[in-house]
Amino acid sequence: MIDWYDANFVLIQGTIINLLLALSLQVPFRFGVFSFAGVGAYGIGGYTAAILILERQVSAIVAILAAILVGVVVCYVLGLVVARLGGLYLGMATIAFTLIVGVVAINGGDLTGGVIGLFGVLADLPTITLLAFAVVAVLAVAYTERGTLGRRIEAVREDPELAASVGVNVRRYRQAAFVASGALGAAAGAMNAIVRTTIGPTDIGFIVVVLALTMMIIGGTRSWAGALIGAVIFTWLPSLLEEIGEWQHLVYGTLVALAAIFMPGGLFGVITDGWRAWQRRRRPAIPQAEAPVPAVAAAQAEGGDVEARAEAELASLGTVDEGSAR
Amino acid sequence: MLQNLISAISLGSIYLLFALGMSLVWGTVGILNFAHGVIFMFSAFVTYLIDRQVELPLIGLVAIGVAVGAVMSVAMQLLAFEPILRRAKDFRTAELQILIAAIGVATIPLAIAQYETKSNPFGFASTTFTSKTYEVFGARISNTQIIIIVAGIGISAVMAFWLRSSRGGLALRAIGVDSETTSLMGVNRSRMAIGVMALAGALAGLAGVLLTLNLGAITPESGDTLLVKAFAAVILGGVGSVAGVVVGSFALALIETIVLVETAGTWVSAVSFGIIFLVLLFRPQGLFGRAEVRRT
Repeated sequence: MIDWYDANFVLIQGTIINLLLALSLQVPFRFGVFSFAGVGAYGIGGYTAAILILERQVSAIVAILAAILVGVVVCYVLGLVVARLGGLYLGMATIAFTLIVGVVAINGGDLTGGVIGLFGVLADLPTITLLAFAVVAVLAVAYTERGTLGRRIEAVREDPELAASVGVNVRRYRQAAFVASGALGAAAGAMNAIVRTTIGPTDIGFIVVVLALTMMIIGGTRSWAGALIGAVIFTWLPSLLEEIGEWQHLVYGTLVALAAIFMPGGLFGVITDGWRAWQRRRRPAIPQAEAPVPAVAAAQAEGGDVEARAEAELASLGTVDEGSAR
Repeated sequence: MLQNLISAISLGSIYLLFALGMSLVWGTVGILNFAHGVIFMFSAFVTYLIDRQVELPLIGLVAIGVAVGAVMSVAMQLLAFEPILRRAKDFRTAELQILIAAIGVATIPLAIAQYETKSNPFGFASTTFTSKTYEVFGARISNTQIIIIVAGIGISAVMAFWLRSSRGGLALRAIGVDSETTSLMGVNRSRMAIGVMALAGALAGLAGVLLTLNLGAITPESGDTLLVKAFAAVILGGVGSVAGVVVGSFALALIETIVLVETAGTWVSAVSFGIIFLVLLFRPQGLFGRAEVRRT
């Protein structure tokens, strides 16, 4: 166990950091807020921690806490500013915000080290501290997935108007999502800067957005466990895929595309669905319970009745079109 | 001064060719294609591979680029976007899934191009097309730049006219307003979507080949940069409006050129991000957009 830890502690630390990074996108996503601000906070947190350690020689924990504070404040303000945007427009605005963080870092002169970045960010950060931060974060996130609070958040995501009509303050929940993603992202960024002892503009750009999104989508968007699955896969896969070297990106891209098309719930969704199906099979249940949609099942039962199947397809198309009718 | 204006106009025309297809697809069939940049790059890349083997005239380069772009774009629509639209429970979820799938798909051609070129810039070495430079009032303009400007403005004008005056254009605009009602009127949405995607891909391929000719070489990563700039142009002008894309592209190119001339070059990329941000905040529908923006 100790040997295994010594051999892999870099990857273990990486998993914790990536878990927090993935959560920083997943939490707002679960609130129905399509925001990449967490990745911007990742950059801000990384630079804040690095500058504090280099200029003021603070300890690692102080640096991380300060980074979280800065991340929370910035994301709170950003949340207020973009409050009226939604959907793709919000996504684009927050991507722009994230990329601006990189441009500011490049133009920050001596404070941020310009294009080269900052080096020698030395502070003592044992893995157990990282783990403690991660456990606190996961417990907090898990709390928002259960009970009344969990149902309220689900309502805010699925139908904001309905949620508002039953007395949920939608705007406040959205604002909370921004704050949470700021805290999680900044913590991940600060830890990353301290663990790697360096941070530069190339560490916080679009590539981080893609990584965070990848982990969240492959793992699953509905629960922190999905983010954990994604973080584990995408921290350990590169070292396993070492031999295919340059084709790594190809494998990543294919996985993301297939996951987005065929399993929108991610691996976590596949696992929970499988678990439920297995439990259903254990009970001598209703036949045809596995059929996904009754209409389609009916069409199939008719045995090649083209008309019925076309009707079923039309019905499913109708729901798509309803959504697009603005 | 005039020299800067010429470079701003030719840069704007490249943005225009690239952004036009993106805006059209987004404004009508509602798909924001994050793989548009990689289609642009990969069309130029395939053209480069063929150009390495055989000597090609300009028209050959353009034809290959346009064809590759159109095929890639249609393939994305058929293999990724259509299945997502068919499965998703509502359009809002589909929209996000499409965005994510496109980011995933985009890494595949990028990885192939990076592997083949080792991330070095590539250009058309053996083409029979030769670049010439003319002097106009003391400023220099190359024949490639003239082609780019004429193509950009010409294609935009034709497209604006087609959207406004033809039955197909009307059907397409109607899909953008209300796709359900439009399909009740007998418009085949998925066939229109394939057509629009093919057109957008072809324009991206054209932009890729022309930009490579103009600069001499491009890197595999240049598609991503252009993608963000095109977003800025589209959002500034207003999604789905041809006039908006034209104004947005030239305005962006002009501002970037001014920033480049007046300051150190490092702030140039902030222009497009800043525009995206500010426009979304203060005028989300853009300068020329329809005054409806989905909220919540």
